[in-house]
Amino acid sequence: MPFRDDIVIKICGSAGDGSISAVDILNRAAALMGYHILNFDSYPAEIRGFGKSVGTTRISRVRPLTPGDRADCLVSLNDPHTITELPTLNESGIVIYENRPGSFLEEDQVIAGFIMPGMTGYGAPLRDLSVTAVQSARSRNIISLGILAGIFRMHPDGFEEAIRIRFSGKKDSVVKSNIKAFHLGRKYALDEIAKRDQIDFGEQLLERPGEISIMSGNEAVAEACIDSRIRLYAGYPITPATRIMEILAKTLPDRDGLTVQTEDEISAIGHVLGAGFAGKRAVTATSGPGLCLMTELINWAVMAEIPAVVIDCQRGGPSTGLPTRTEQSDLNIAVSGGSGDSPRVVLAPTNVEECYTLTRESFEIAESFQAPVIVLLDFFLANRIEDIDSKRLTGEYHGEFPGDLVHSGNEPFKRFKLTESGISPRALPGMAGLLHTVTGLEHDQKGMPDYETKNHRDMTAKRFRKMETLARIWRGSDPFGDDGDLDAGIVSWGSTVGSVMEAIDILRGQGVRAGGLFPRLIWPVQAEQLAAFSRRSRQLFVAEMNYSGQLASLYAINLSRKFGRICGVYAGPVPVQDIVDEILRGLP
Amino acid sequence: MQSEHYVIIGNGPAANSAADILRKGDPDARITLISDEFFPYYHRHLLRHYILGKKSKEDLIVRPISYYRENRIRLRLGQKVVRIDLQTRTVFLAHMEKVHYTRLLICLGGKPRIPEIHYVYSEYFTAIKTIDDAEAFREQLPGIRSMVIVGGDLISVKMAASFLETGMNVRFLIDEDAFWPLKLDDDQRRDFTERLSARGAEVISGDVLAGVEPETEGGFRVRTRNGLSLSCDRIGAFFGLIPDVDFLVGSGLDIDRGILVNEYLQTQFEGVYAAGDCAQVYNPDLKNYWVSIGWDNALHLGQIAAHNILGSDKTADLPPLNLLNSDGVKVQTAWWRDL
Ligand SMILES: Cc1cc2nc3c(=O)[nH]c(=O)nc-3n(C[C@H](O)[C@H](O)[C@H](O)COP(=O)(O)OP(=O)(O)OC[C@H]3O[C@@H](n4cnc5c(N)ncnc54)[C@H](O)[C@@H]3O)c2cc1C
Repeated sequence: MPFRDDIVIKICGSAGDGSISAVDILNRAAALMGYHILNFDSYPAEIRGFGKSVGTTRISRVRPLTPGDRADCLVSLNDPHTITELPTLNESGIVIYENRPGSFLEEDQVIAGFIMPGMTGYGAPLRDLSVTAVQSARSRNIISLGILAGIFRMHPDGFEEAIRIRFSGKKDSVVKSNIKAFHLGRKYALDEIAKRDQIDFGEQLLERPGEISIMSGNEAVAEACIDSRIRLYAGYPITPATRIMEILAKTLPDRDGLTVQTEDEISAIGHVLGAGFAGKRAVTATSGPGLCLMTELINWAVMAEIPAVVIDCQRGGPSTGLPTRTEQSDLNIAVSGGSGDSPRVVLAPTNVEECYTLTRESFEIAESFQAPVIVLLDFFLANRIEDIDSKRLTGEYHGEFPGDLVHSGNEPFKRFKLTESGISPRALPGMAGLLHTVTGLEHDQKGMPDYETKNHRDMTAKRFRKMETLARIWRGSDPFGDDGDLDAGIVSWGSTVGSVMEAIDILRGQGVRAGGLFPRLIWPVQAEQLAAFSRRSRQLFVAEMNYSGQLASLYAINLSRKFGRICGVYAGPVPVQDIVDEILRGLP
Repeated sequence: MQSEHYVIIGNGPAANSAADILRKGDPDARITLISDEFFPYYHRHLLRHYILGKKSKEDLIVRPISYYRENRIRLRLGQKVVRIDLQTRTVFLAHMEKVHYTRLLICLGGKPRIPEIHYVYSEYFTAIKTIDDAEAFREQLPGIRSMVIVGGDLISVKMAASFLETGMNVRFLIDEDAFWPLKLDDDQRRDFTERLSARGAEVISGDVLAGVEPETEGGFRVRTRNGLSLSCDRIGAFFGLIPDVDFLVGSGLDIDRGILVNEYLQTQFEGVYAAGDCAQVYNPDLKNYWVSIGWDNALHLGQIAAHNILGSDKTADLPPLNLLNSDGVKVQTAWWRDL
């Protein structure tokens, strides 16, 4: 039997069936076994707790970059819901289902009846086993984990530990009975199920040095905010950004910080700008509709040169759009939403680790460049969970008000002094001798309103010069894939990068020389790096998850050549195969 | 009017030939095929080549899965029927699903026949009916150096020829019941045994299995009535196939050796038909029922049943007696074809 240990497992149930907590345990168990995971749960309803909930986790020896186009195994804790997930299962996929539901069910209410030729079904008395273990049906999810461990020969120790961690706050008896349920499921699989599939983890425990953190993009952002020692989170809850607020609301009060739930997003950004003006680190997180409301004050931050960090967890739009669907369609508004020539910084992490590192950097950039920084996540990146080596979660901290930016010398203080870098000395309100005016009106170097054409031209140029400085000094993004000349070069951003990287691997496997450039600093554009990559690429593509190709349009002027747009809206992350197909179609 | 739902239990030649006719005759109807085997419709007579590795699994498949999609036939594989309720027209599946039909065609096929006197040894016997049986055998083949075949039927003659090719030691214990249901005269019987011997098999005739014991270090010891003691790795039981209808006992259907049907292949219940190896068909001329096992018989009966389900009144003819040339021996048989 060929050994296979890169698999996508989906656990599907109704609210209360525990599919998400089962996947949570599975993630940790796999990580404890030394495997990498990428988990992405989906809730079709806006509010958790209603209807179907599906946990999808990919477990692999090699770090997975996507949750996989299709699942290899579907565990059903609720057949009617799981039946609707069947189209996402591989043609040779495996279905694990309840085979003793208590009574016969009507036609097409039972997933086993839908198992297609080529697929493999394993029935097990999940409910009965659960009753044996915990005197109720509530541990069917844990039983199903035992079944998975048994069929795929996953080492049981990781599961035991993961169950202990999951139920750590509960009574000892709860932990024990769930461990018992796990072993009962595993024993059933080993004794009663005749294996007919190819997946086998060989009960291996892999070496993984150091401590591992398992977290989502949103959790990584929150962690970064805490480690950046923010003093204020102000926000209005919105899917898919709310989790950040939930975490910070709990943690900030103990860390000399404050979380304010504001009446709307305008107020939220107002709070953040107030704190920024006062020299305190502050952040808000929102999604597309909230970002729309914030544009006016983000513009103000540009004009008044106030540091501010806005996390935008994008979702399907426009308007309230699709709260629980992923999309990268806020790029236009992030880069250029607002009136006037309004330069700001836009960062886009491509994975969970970068959600942490780029959030940390966003504070440094915002303060150093005295400008708003928008960090673009999306539903998929915000919610997906990865295992990260904890020691990689680091960042620089220069203090919330970098001292070297304060004015010194004898000349009179000019808060908006024209400099070569565009960066002016900064002072906080109340600093002796550094009195200055801050306004949203165009102003002179001291901050006094000034509508003279020359002044406006100089000041606009100064604000743009800050961006040029940033683009020049920022570290850039390492190209991925083949060196030298490429048959296909792909520019992509944000969470789509994972799919593109896997697509590049597939293309290279097929003999196509392929590589990618994935700017994390989306705006200002690092034009030289882009141009160099473009020169290397015989065919160039820009891949992203929106209908109109927003990054492609943004970069078109820099690319000034023919290139292919790979853009579209999907129910979830961009399927890897779609990218491969599009690129192969686009090659001569 | 509610459209028809034709449910066919089985996925062999009888079931598939019926499904084709039903689809052509009733383009709008729902058609469901249910089989407890996971593997799609395949040639059972090729299993011996699969065991030897001469054919792959895919080579055995009669028609691709896409055929069913294209013809809107729902194929439920790996799903076992455990009960039928003829009153409510419901088929009950092992995974606890009910499927309602308007017309039901039962094509359960046959199962390896074990004569009653040998029942007690069944657990020591190896029989090959399905691809799963063949796969298990194939995996163990390298460790099987010797085999005693008890019974002897048309399938075993071919199987033995294949086993002998691997260098396996094959001994045949041919008793008076051998080649059931064929009526072999003494000459034909001698002919068969001579040919088997010529291939390298040892044929023990005129003797009967009297006992089996598993040996501690694996393998078995076979004792015969005449006092022979044969040690072997495997005991192949080949006593022919008989209708596989056990679970229908108690359903209300008339069951004798097979499911009793009239010459139109209808059971005593309206809208419920049976065809293929599992059917025991009435013949008005004989004024009696007959059972016939074989690929062509199954194809033929499946078609007749389907036509009648669609409203015709075709009768299933008595299978013509053929002169079958099996391994060079000519025997009289009905429908069994040298495949
Ligand atoms: C090894 C071997 C070699 C053969 N060689 C020849 C030959 O050379 N020439 C020849 O003419 N014939 C040969 N045959 C016989 C021939 O294959 C059969 O006569 C023929 O397959 C019968 O067809 P059928 O459609 O009636 O049933 P089958 O092909 O037996 O199919 C019966 C179907 O019913 C399904 N089924 C049974 N019970 C249930 C249940 N409870 N729930 C759901 N599904 C169920 C089974 O899964 C199967 O799909 C051979 C048979 C074997 C086993």
